[in-house]
Formats: sequence, C-alpha cells, structure tokens
Amino acid sequence: MDTSMWLALVSIAIGTYLLRLLPYIWMKRSLAKRQTEDGIGSMPTWLTILGPTMIAAMFGTSLVPTHSDALSWLATGLGILVTFGVWTRTRSMGLPILFGVVAFGMVTLILPI
Amino acid sequence: MSTTTQILAGTPWKQGVKDAIPLLGGYIPVAISFGLISVQSGFSVLETILISAFIYAGASQFLFVAMAASGAPLWLVVIMTLLINARHIVYGPNLSPYLNHDKKWLPLMHGLTDQIFALAHARLPQLPDQARIGWYTGAAVLAWLSWVAGTALGAIAGDELTQRWPLINDILPFALPALFFVLIVPRCNNRLWTLTIALSAVASVILKMLGYPNVAIPLAAMSGAVLFYALKNRRILGGQ
Repeated sequence: MDTSMWLALVSIAIGTYLLRLLPYIWMKRSLAKRQTEDGIGSMPTWLTILGPTMIAAMFGTSLVPTHSDALSWLATGLGILVTFGVWTRTRSMGLPILFGVVAFGMVTLILPI
Repeated sequence: MSTTTQILAGTPWKQGVKDAIPLLGGYIPVAISFGLISVQSGFSVLETILISAFIYAGASQFLFVAMAASGAPLWLVVIMTLLINARHIVYGPNLSPYLNHDKKWLPLMHGLTDQIFALAHARLPQLPDQARIGWYTGAAVLAWLSWVAGTALGAIAGDELTQRWPLINDILPFALPALFFVLIVPRCNNRLWTLTIALSAVASVILKMLGYPNVAIPLAAMSGAVLFYALKNRRILGGQ
C-alpha cells in the first residue's frame, strides 16, 4: 500500500471510531448536565425508539439469504420458527440460537438430496 | 426486554464471552470471506489484518477494498465508507444510561459494532452497574478477536477453506439473524412495539432484496420509528 492508501485507511479507522465514541460522550455529558437520577427517562424519546428499531432492522437484513431461492427461504423460515419455539420454552440466548442454526442447516443439507 | 437485575454465576467478563459466542457463527465466515477478497484485491496479508483490526466494520471494509482495487478516488472511498458507518452514531447514546464514568469505556467504544450494540442493549440493563464494564469487555474483545482471527485465516488460507468446507459460508451465518431475533423478540410485549418492530424488520428485508443493503438498516429503523409515533399519537388522540 502506498502512503495515500495508508492515509485513507487511517482516516476511515479514526472516523469510524469517532462515529462510535463522540455521540456516546455527547449523550453522557447531556445526561450529566440534566442531573437526573433516572438517565433513561431523560434521554430523547426518538433515540430510545431508534435503538430497538435498529436491532429489528439488523434482524431483517441478516435474514435475507445469500442465495434467494425457495429452499433458502424455507430453511430461514424454519430456522426462525425453531429459534422462537426454543426461546418461548427457555427464555435464554444460547440454546434457541443453536437449535435454530441446526434446523437451518438440516433443511439446507438434507432437502436438496 | 427485562430490566430485572441478574445475578451472575461467574465473573462478568466470562459471562460477556459466553453471551458473545453466538456472534462467532456470523463473524468468522464473513471475516474469512473478507480476508480472501482483500488478498485477491491486491492487499497483503498484514494490510488485510490491519484493516480488520482498525476499521472493524464489516460492510465498510468490503467497500473500502472494492473501491480501492477499482482505482476510485481515495477521498470518495473515505466518504463512502464513513457514510455506511454513520448508523453507529445511534449506538453509543442508547447505551450511555447504562455506562458509568469509567475512562476505560472510551477505548472500548472501538468494539461497538452492530452486533455488540444489539447484545449490550439487551444485556446491560439486566446487569448490576459494577459488572457492566467487565461484561462488555469480554463480549467486545471476543468479537474483535474473532473478526481479526477470521480475517487472518481468510487471507492466509481462505481459498482452501471455502473449497473444502463450503457450508461454513452457508450455514453458520444463520447464527446472526437467530441472535438478533432472540434479542428483539422480548420487546414485542405489546401491540405498539410488535407493529413497530415488525415494520422495521419487513422494511429492511424489502430494502435489502431491492438492492439497498447499506441504507436498509437506518431507513427501516426510521420507518419503524415513524410508525411508532403515528400509532402513539393516534392512541393519544383516540383517548381524548
């Protein structure tokens, strides 16, 4: 890599870090300034809504299979159903994900045979 | 999401590592792909590893390598990659009520990826205040190490790996939607949130399928937020 490419890499690395850091510092200072006991209550409402909706959107984008064919969608649907089924019983994180991946893998591997 | 404070069985960082293990199913295959593509685009193994270690943001790394290899102007490469990462600005403020004033949080913000944010947003409120930094460190460091190690693996032996075990790329990444699902489903405890979350998820699926993967997350999240306000206002007006 030449110098200009290194410079671009460093700029992106610093820029990405600042995108993660500065809004956090800003909110921390803003919360401290308001001097409220319950910080969550004093956060702007739109921000508390955007948190869960961002996670829901990440769920949606990660759900779309790489190969968008019927089998992949079937495996995806079944994988999520199994994940949900195990989650309703255990209310935990590890087992529902494990069973979901196994169900997804079984459909992906077995059905084409 | 439950806000009941949980008592930890082990040390906080061990619990963080344990909670972040499902991330590996998504991180390692994607990191292997990135390592492979980066080396094929003309970057050395060391450069590829440094890109993953310091930029540490999946989609923008792929874009960086692709644009740089195609000879795009570097100022445009920088702007485009930062635009993709702009969604991260929402993450820190959303977690800040749960973080204390420890200065160690500042370098730890480097590890605030999409997945770590989703995990921390669900888990931090359940943990006692003094356990949070340890938990976050365990989760974020494991995720970062897996991303860097996966990149190194991909850069050194990615071609052989994907040929010998093609299913690594096909099956393991399903851990990510499964993880996001178990993180978000406890939020669906009333009609307002269920509809908001459903719209955000469906909108992001549609946007990604239409070929807009990079704007899918912020746009879908905003559409969900608009629906939330619309439904809430209607409820308030209906109640009056």
